[in-house]
Amino acid sequence: MKLKGEMSMLNVLHLQESDLELTSLQVSLEKKRDEAPQFFIQSPLVVDCSDLAEQCNRLDFGALRAMILELGFIPVGVRSAPKDVLLVANKAGWAIMREGHAPSAKKQDKSGQADNHQSASSNGPASDNSGSTEKQTQAQSTIQSLTIERPVRSGQQVYAANGDMTILAPTSSGSELVADGSIHVYGALRGRVLAGARGNVSARIFCHSLQAELIAIAGRYQLLDESDTDLKGKPAMIRLEGEKLIIEPLG
Amino acid sequence: MSKVIVVTSGKGGVGKTTTSAAFASGLAAKGYKTAVIDFDVGLRNLDLIMGVERRVVYDFVNVINGESTLKQALIRDKRVDNLYILPASQTRDKDALTTEGVESVINELKEDGFDYIVCDSPAGIEKGAFMALYFADEAIVVTNPEVSSVRDSDRILGILQSRSRAAEQGGTVKEHLLITRYSPDRVEGGDMLGMDDIVEILSVPLIGVIPESESVLQASNSGNSVVLDEQSHAGQAYTDVVARFLGEDVPLRFIDVQPKKGFFKKLFG
Repeated sequence: MKLKGEMSMLNVLHLQESDLELTSLQVSLEKKRDEAPQFFIQSPLVVDCSDLAEQCNRLDFGALRAMILELGFIPVGVRSAPKDVLLVANKAGWAIMREGHAPSAKKQDKSGQADNHQSASSNGPASDNSGSTEKQTQAQSTIQSLTIERPVRSGQQVYAANGDMTILAPTSSGSELVADGSIHVYGALRGRVLAGARGNVSARIFCHSLQAELIAIAGRYQLLDESDTDLKGKPAMIRLEGEKLIIEPLG
Repeated sequence: MSKVIVVTSGKGGVGKTTTSAAFASGLAAKGYKTAVIDFDVGLRNLDLIMGVERRVVYDFVNVINGESTLKQALIRDKRVDNLYILPASQTRDKDALTTEGVESVINELKEDGFDYIVCDSPAGIEKGAFMALYFADEAIVVTNPEVSSVRDSDRILGILQSRSRAAEQGGTVKEHLLITRYSPDRVEGGDMLGMDDIVEILSVPLIGVIPESESVLQASNSGNSVVLDEQSHAGQAYTDVVARFLGEDVPLRFIDVQPKKGFFKKLFG
């Protein structure tokens, strides 16, 4: 068997103060469920208490669980509550979930997911269940630079985990470069190139001659042929601005 | 110190066997004791190209399986001294090749004092091709001037530098690029990739360019190695390749468009 930490989609129920009255919560939740029963019935549900603050010790977790089950959801866990409240919830059969991400981190996380999806077919970086903020610090603490002096050939894949990649030779079409940080190619860049593979939006791509098939930073990707850049075959730098990949001359 | 050289390409039909035959003949003609091994088990061709098909008794797989000795299986070339051919089996498949078996044959050839062991790789990147390149010290990658051939060569170069024994032990296989079936007229016309483009894409040192030539076909069909045809351009180009391989500095020939001969030039030379 394999036990792995993985990220999956969960519905999160954000409780408001008005929801402490379970009967009214039941009515509104039932209404929500009936909007898309195929999607919600038997789907896992996480309860988020961050909006309740101190009020959440008034919550009856046993009754909440029974009510959620009755509506056809599968109650999974509780998060963002004080420790003692979480312990009570735990006794009532709830799992304790990791804190949710801050809104800014949330965005990064999404990009990480998108990228994982994109490189799944190519043994790209494995998905990870730790929050993106944690990843960032991890990357900072153990940065590993990868330097390659030989050409990267068609069919070859290179992955620089937790760091930048530097290639001192050309890369071929049909090759694939993946790095958690930035990628530098001191030669022609011809294959696929994916920087910031785990969601680092500040990662960049640098090359002496831009002839790549596909460029990607933090999951935002573009086929070079679909780009209207006039820098094809020229020294270029690629960076991410918002959701857009910007290709600009190098130097 | 004997050297193992693999002639490989990834793609089929680009001229691996022709090159193996010509290159091995050229080395032997220079006085080096040379063996050429056909790794294309099941699709044996080298014996035909070298004109020894009627002299095959035992083959490579027989030697690996211990059914014959290496001496029994090696065919001595009648035109070039020092040249020996180890044919592939036609009735078996690539699975008959084992790493241990191939290694023992190569080691025995080394002990017998062979200077060069040329391994003629089958097409593809499967077992036969892998076995042919695994023990190589140097590689001649044969490429035609067209995009699919160049990409396949690129792929095989990647495999050479990651899965060969030299690579596994932290070393590298020395690479040589050989462009075959080159037609300067068609390059000029834009139908073929130019020599410089291929070298730029693959970034491997060029060891030679063999012009497209009818003499190659004639030589193959008659079982004479083209390198022995001193009149043909292809034969001369292969001779240059051997010289460059041995460290001589020989300029490239037959890479420019030949001026069309006028009527009188044709008549009076």
